[in-house]
Amino acid sequence: MSTTTTTATTATTGPTSTAGTTGTGTTGRTGPTGSAGSASTQADTAGAQDGPVRTLPVLAVDLVADPALLAPLAELARGLEDSGIGALTLSDGGLHPIHAASYLAPITRSVALLPRTDAVYVEPFHLATQLMSLDHISHGRAGWLLTAETDPAVPATVGRSTLGFEATAREAADVLEASRLVWDSWAEDAVVRDNERGVYVDASRLQYADFEGETFSVRGPAITPRSPQGLIPVLVADTDRGAVGERVATELADGRVLDLDLSTGARPETVLDLVETALAATDGPVVRLVRLVGLDLEADPLGTVAELSAALRERGLIAPVPQNGASLRDQLGLPLPTFTLDPARRGDHARLSSKDHA
Amino acid sequence: MTTAQLPTFADAPLSAEAQALVTGPAEHPLHPDHTPTGQLSFGVFFQGVNSSTIWRLPESGDQVAWESFESLVRTAERGRFAAFFLGEGLRLREHRGVPFELDVAGRPDAQTLLAALAAVTDTIGLVATQNTTYNDPVDLARRFQTLDLLSGGRAGWNVVTTDNAWTGENFRRGGYLDHADRYVHAEAFVRIAQQLWRGEQIDHDGAHYSVRAQGDLPRSPQGEPVLFQAGASPAGQDFAARTADVVFSPHGTLEAAVEFRRSIVERTVAAGRDAADVKILPGAEVVLAATEKEADEKVRWVRDLQIGPEQAIALLEQYWGRDLSDFDPDGPLPDVPPEVSESGVTRGAGFQFAKAEELTRAWREEAAEKGQSILEFARGKAGSRRGTFTGSYDAVADRLVEFARLGAIDGLNITPWLIPSGLDDIVDHLIPRLQERGVYPSEYAGSTLRENLGLPPL
Repeated sequence: MSTTTTTATTATTGPTSTAGTTGTGTTGRTGPTGSAGSASTQADTAGAQDGPVRTLPVLAVDLVADPALLAPLAELARGLEDSGIGALTLSDGGLHPIHAASYLAPITRSVALLPRTDAVYVEPFHLATQLMSLDHISHGRAGWLLTAETDPAVPATVGRSTLGFEATAREAADVLEASRLVWDSWAEDAVVRDNERGVYVDASRLQYADFEGETFSVRGPAITPRSPQGLIPVLVADTDRGAVGERVATELADGRVLDLDLSTGARPETVLDLVETALAATDGPVVRLVRLVGLDLEADPLGTVAELSAALRERGLIAPVPQNGASLRDQLGLPLPTFTLDPARRGDHARLSSKDHA
Repeated sequence: MTTAQLPTFADAPLSAEAQALVTGPAEHPLHPDHTPTGQLSFGVFFQGVNSSTIWRLPESGDQVAWESFESLVRTAERGRFAAFFLGEGLRLREHRGVPFELDVAGRPDAQTLLAALAAVTDTIGLVATQNTTYNDPVDLARRFQTLDLLSGGRAGWNVVTTDNAWTGENFRRGGYLDHADRYVHAEAFVRIAQQLWRGEQIDHDGAHYSVRAQGDLPRSPQGEPVLFQAGASPAGQDFAARTADVVFSPHGTLEAAVEFRRSIVERTVAAGRDAADVKILPGAEVVLAATEKEADEKVRWVRDLQIGPEQAIALLEQYWGRDLSDFDPDGPLPDVPPEVSESGVTRGAGFQFAKAEELTRAWREEAAEKGQSILEFARGKAGSRRGTFTGSYDAVADRLVEFARLGAIDGLNITPWLIPSGLDDIVDHLIPRLQERGVYPSEYAGSTLRENLGLPPL
């Protein structure tokens, strides 16, 4: 997929990697050769309004995972869920956002849970595993609000030096691609439990990630079976677009997060107008999430959110309240990607080739 | 059995086997520096991979579904288990270059799962196995501290090391660590984590990494996560004695458990710590039935389901390094030499360093001596690794009372052979008998993992 003007919400023609995308060639990796209908990972970008059905963005509230939030966290999350939102994003306030999201999974029913977490100064294999685990635990409600860390203190915690803007953007893109290859390394039906043959997992339904990036490689397959959504939706917030770079924000991610900062004291009508304007835009990535940040937890946060969500919904600017059991992909109108086996990476390749030689 | 007629187990005579191991007065039967508490705590070790978990039965549950974990942890909490313990392996096991197909494989990330279990449990400890070789210390320490805070002081860390480059293929640095350096590295790693948990500033330039960081999260109700360690080698025991709160390597016989206790006590005291600072909860498999005869039958049935003919052949292939599928699982061990040079043996903890020549010869001799087929031999080997406690409910309870009274162990870290119902008979039949005998708590001692393991406060 070499175009950035894919239409509609069903961008299913892209293979897992960006094989075929022009100008990405830093890896020298042979991408999967999946055909149309394989795992959708490309963002559908501008021109979405031209497509058949336009899925409205999901309303999200951002919670900062701060130790001070611990005591009210569970009750607050449940209250927000009942206030008409479709997602919670968890920002880093000291507690690890992925664990904070996971903690909320069993005590919420319908809201999607999107940790906002770094794609650069991390072990990609761990990050991919943690996110797919969150997807299992939440029954398909996981998403990743991808950011690229710009705080110079962070690379020092992992013995690295701060990357420049270009290198950061390339690394974030590599980590995202590697994550998707890990997520897509088990078929839906890889666990066969075949009593007759004594086989629990069918190696021919697994594939190696075999990602070779500029600064790291990942062999795979995942140590976790395929998660309910297959590929976890990856979104980039407006706040993070500059840091992650245009390729991740506009080509690789599944869409944009429109941030509305409530701490500025903007009037509800202004907020509504902002959303309306953003949704009307015909260029740039599709707005998938409308995210309320800076919610004042001291001043009736649930009332504020309930009022805003009702007003946004009345104006037809956000998606309906999610059903219990809906996945984040369901909410976003993204189709469920199916596993497409790349023969060159298939799990039993070594066995097949040894038979060839025998 | 009514309470009034209960025998006083504490005063009952020890068996001849137990008595023979006693070297000191009643208050220090095994070692002058060690006083038995006479109490046991249990952990449940959800392995999630390997042949210990039976996947072939209709009641074998999903190994990844949230409901399996939630159900098991609720049973464990009902049984006043101190800890729910998750394993980890950072690369999918392979056999001869192909992902291993015959055993349970694939599990969620331990800490991510435990963070969710923290929300639906009240008291049980939540222990994650995490690798020091393929993690960054500041990141891992923060994730543990997050789990400790989310759970109100119930987090534990099973510290493991890996040195193989094969696992490293999933990570940035690849296989960078020498076998001999793994505990030196692990200890430096744990120290960094502890400094962070204590809110200290880290300015570390070591052989393997440079770290600048500042601990800035509050302490949890238990202070910091409890450290578990499995190392049974002398280097591993020394590492545990210096660093760990709990050791859980398996010791199925009373004699082996007593020997291990003495070794750990000596090393702990030599490291300048109190002998009571390190608890021993051996990894164990428990197979119970109403009578001894039924238990004997059951343990054979469990083994048959854990190790089928295919797994038995695969076990030998790991060490022979060649295709043995033409050998009859009911026949003798292969009389062919191993192919040491062939790559692609099944990888997994403990398998890498087998000296194939020596080991295969020894196995052939052992099986011939015992008159065992490939299948019988493989099942025997699997059992001996697991520290199995088997017998009638009463017999196993009595046996554990002796372990407790001698102070050979402080509890067990039990691997259920069935998910999620594998703890049911332990909780329904064994634990009440242990409670009657006064060696197992009827209520949790506190709300933190440290308290419920009987560890001294920090």
